[in-house]
Amino acid sequence: MTGQSTVLAADVPFPPSVEDFYLPSIVPWGGHDSYWFTKITALLWISVALIIIFFLVTYRKPKLVPTKKQWIAESIYGFVRNNIAVDMLGKRGINFAPYLTTLFVFILLMNFWAIVPFAQISPNSHIAFPAVLAVISYVMFIYIGMKHHGGLKYFKHALIPPAPWFILPLLIPIEFFSTFIVRPFSLAVRLFANMFAGHMLLLVFTLGGFAMLNANVWFAPFSVVSWAMTIALTFLEFLVICLQAYVFTVLTASYVQGALADEH
Amino acid sequence: MTGQEPPRNPQDDDGPPPPDTGMGMTAVAYLIAGMLVWGGIGLLVDHWVGTKGIFAGIGAVVGIGGGVYLIVRRLGA
Repeated sequence: MTGQSTVLAADVPFPPSVEDFYLPSIVPWGGHDSYWFTKITALLWISVALIIIFFLVTYRKPKLVPTKKQWIAESIYGFVRNNIAVDMLGKRGINFAPYLTTLFVFILLMNFWAIVPFAQISPNSHIAFPAVLAVISYVMFIYIGMKHHGGLKYFKHALIPPAPWFILPLLIPIEFFSTFIVRPFSLAVRLFANMFAGHMLLLVFTLGGFAMLNANVWFAPFSVVSWAMTIALTFLEFLVICLQAYVFTVLTASYVQGALADEH
Repeated sequence: MTGQEPPRNPQDDDGPPPPDTGMGMTAVAYLIAGMLVWGGIGLLVDHWVGTKGIFAGIGAVVGIGGGVYLIVRRLGA
């Protein structure tokens, strides 16, 4: 193997660890006492800016016969509105379509950084971002439920299932736990864990290639296999990215649906 | 505003919900929640009474039964 790749491989740490998710500071450059602006922060603001600019530009002068960009923006919105919001919430779904679309596009783009060259890490692989999104969904479905059913009646509706009275003491703790405690956790952890594991997998196979190149002349050919796996896993990552954005949006819609549901 | 019209006949509330609306997740959440809640309460009882886990076991079984009942009532009706 060439001398250059050996030099490159020499300072590649293997195996990767959680430390690899804490990136160096950008402002101040390489600073060790201030981590207010890292690649994660930069990617977050770039995502927000890109989404705002994209939708402002594409909807600036809407035409009856849409241009290509307008068609893309309309397709995204139309997909979330028709296939998620209206499908699950009925006519009321149209009211929630803007929020659900924002959520979907935001998570999709934030996840997508995981496989963009040079970015290659998703801000969602830090639990803070999914946690805040989950809190928004959590507060929203409770608020909507309270508004729809009228204050505390929502909790009566959510906690007391249609069942004979003697079995209720058994069921109410389960309802409480699964609705008000598990939901925000499972939302946040599902997204976080998928992005974390995806980044970790790509790191293992990329760095593993270097490690094998470095280890032994007989292992060296297998580094190619490792890198081929990296490419294959990048496509798998793409699937996970889209799927998780969709799942988060669908589950948020499903929680809203549960809050809006009437007695049956 | 958008090219496509929203669907004319969104499913009414009586019809079955569309596939993949988080029902699987809800079912799994009920099962696990039932086990954890009543198993946890059983564990506390064990701690209090001084037994070694019999109430946690009973609690987990009872809890998962409650979870199954909830799935049938909430999702199966």
